[in-house]
Amino acid sequence: MKTLTIAAKDLTHIFQSVFSLVMMFGAPLMITGLLSFAFGGRASGTGTFNLPVTHVQVVNLDQPDGAAPGVAAGKLLVDVLQGPSLAAVLAVTLVSDEASARRAVDAQQAGVAIIIPPDFTAAATSPDRRAAVVIYRDPTLTIGPGIVEDLVSHVMDGFSGAKIAGQVTADGLSAAGAAADQALKDTIARAYTAWLQSHAHGAEGAAVPRLAVVAPTGAAQPQSQGAARIGPIMAGMLVFFVFFMGGNGAESIIREAEQGTLARLSSTPTPLAAILGGKFLGVVVSLCIQVAVLLLASRLLFGIPWGQAATVMLVSLGLMVASAGFGIMLMSLITSSRQTGPVLGGVMTLTGMLGGLFTTAIPTIPASFDRVALLTPQGWALQGWKLALSGAGVGETLVPVAVLLVMGLAFLAVGVVLLRRRFA
Amino acid sequence: MPDGVAIRAQDLQKQFRAVSAVRGVSFEVRAGEIFSLLGPNGAGKSTTIAMLSCLLPPTQGDASVCGHSIRQSPQRVKACLGVVPQDIALYLDLSARENLEFWGKMYGLRGTALRQRVAEVLEIIGLTERQKDTVGTFSGGMKRRVNIGAALLHRPDVIIMDEPTVGIDPQSRRHILDNVKELNRQGMTILYTTHYMEEAQELSHQIAIMDQGKVIACGTHAELIRLVGERTRLDLTLDAEVDALVAYWRSMAGVHSLSADHGRLTLLVDDSNLVLPRLFETASPFGVRITSVTIEEPNLEAVFLHLTGKALRDEP
Repeated sequence: MKTLTIAAKDLTHIFQSVFSLVMMFGAPLMITGLLSFAFGGRASGTGTFNLPVTHVQVVNLDQPDGAAPGVAAGKLLVDVLQGPSLAAVLAVTLVSDEASARRAVDAQQAGVAIIIPPDFTAAATSPDRRAAVVIYRDPTLTIGPGIVEDLVSHVMDGFSGAKIAGQVTADGLSAAGAAADQALKDTIARAYTAWLQSHAHGAEGAAVPRLAVVAPTGAAQPQSQGAARIGPIMAGMLVFFVFFMGGNGAESIIREAEQGTLARLSSTPTPLAAILGGKFLGVVVSLCIQVAVLLLASRLLFGIPWGQAATVMLVSLGLMVASAGFGIMLMSLITSSRQTGPVLGGVMTLTGMLGGLFTTAIPTIPASFDRVALLTPQGWALQGWKLALSGAGVGETLVPVAVLLVMGLAFLAVGVVLLRRRFA
Repeated sequence: MPDGVAIRAQDLQKQFRAVSAVRGVSFEVRAGEIFSLLGPNGAGKSTTIAMLSCLLPPTQGDASVCGHSIRQSPQRVKACLGVVPQDIALYLDLSARENLEFWGKMYGLRGTALRQRVAEVLEIIGLTERQKDTVGTFSGGMKRRVNIGAALLHRPDVIIMDEPTVGIDPQSRRHILDNVKELNRQGMTILYTTHYMEEAQELSHQIAIMDQGKVIACGTHAELIRLVGERTRLDLTLDAEVDALVAYWRSMAGVHSLSADHGRLTLLVDDSNLVLPRLFETASPFGVRITSVTIEEPNLEAVFLHLTGKALRDEP
């Protein structure tokens, strides 16, 4: 009963402290939100995501000649880029001179400038002629200019196909003994180009989709791309701040020793085991509330599906016992509350880094790092949460949970022995 | 209580590495008494009561409280004891009532009995009106009163108070001293430590004077005064301290003892009417002027001076 009274008093103290509330709930949610924003944004929840619009300036200097009536290769390229299916990702503006287009890119007013040369149609329809389309791009952008390059290459391939078709036809005629002069080759190339031009606008003039932006679908458990990305980040923050609060809660032993209330408690007919038990219980209950609130809040705010309920409860139990035990052991090693801040911050940050809590958003972590992480309780806790997030069942999380429980109880035993030696 | 003795200390000793804090302390406190341990800071009073409260194990010796050995039955000793620590040992972020309820539960009180006793104790310490305020907002004197109240909740047979009036205003001090007397009237045995001679003098049935870890005298106020006979205490202030003059006065007829501290001298003399004029006469040849004189009839300060050769106010 006295153990419960001590635990209740400690809980009152924890939940009256603004610092504790911020570190328990505010900081992990805020940092997760910021990290997820920095590493790709949060999910819309609809299964799609939006690419940023790339501004493209096109300088169409192409001058179709009379030799290929009805064919305008430069205009064809512009039409493809201005197609309605690309309107969501490309904003195409026609400008008259190359210099201003380049300046727009230099000033980052446009991501890409495309300069179509004057003899573009002639080169596109004549097998023996060459012309180069210049793509001038902002080197700081990747996705938008890449799409533009692919689209231009697609159109250029079409023109190359026309030329090849003309050459193959001419060679076939030659092999059959028929004469294929230059005029015939040009006629074939122009016919192919005309077909290509009509194909670009669809059979009935309707636009043919050139680019479809879709999110990959999960196989086992459907979840949004953002939630899949943010889940491990939140798990890392959850583990870090639960361990931090484990230490911070256990600090009450040191604080009470300094304030004289621990000695006063010892002067009452209350065994030291009941006092330390109350302290441990207070820490575990506060962590239980912290974990429950963070899981629920992150589910509501970020849409994180934490996994099967039984698995989540099991991993939570392992996390709470390990962090409470680690906190009490840590506090048994320090002698004054002035040391608490540096020791708690330093040890938790170091073990958190080794445990991989701050690198969950980075996909290309070496395997050796994962092995080092398992030297720390935080690493095992993170592994448990990653398994839970992947939809693992209880059986698959037994190993990390068992390791967490063993570690937590070992830490607790060391802490209790040291504290009894000091305060008995 | 067996043979009417509430506390019996027998050759209590406490060694902290090379330091002997308590060196063989023995005394008896009879049930219903106020017993004071009087001595300067560092005399070993707090260490002695820490051992009696079962907070520190003695290096040697034993003590019994309410008939229970502090070595053999510490939990029983704690159950019959209320301890008021020297420093405020309360939860400053809890209210006065919450603090008292918490400490009451630590002494095993529950439910209606707890609530009733908390209300009574709030009345005793005069804080019923402020019971819902957090202790952190209280003045030093009010905190001291809650500090005492927390030790009264389980109606202990014996209360140990470790310098409960240190650093508080005269009004709160008066309130606490009156409380101590009232608790004693209700039958509680009180072991009181202080370095204020007047408090020990006002409160105590018996006084043990401690210095350097030992009890150097023990008895009633009258018994202790008799140790110095009818000697009068003179406190002098000089405009300069001259060693030769101090040595001369120390050997002067009628001067029983003398302690000097930066121009402030304390003398025990047989007859102040005879000695005082000679002090003035002999000071002038040494070029020293006496700037103030206080004459006090024999008291505990004089006893301490007589026994140790130094004033009670001196640091150890």
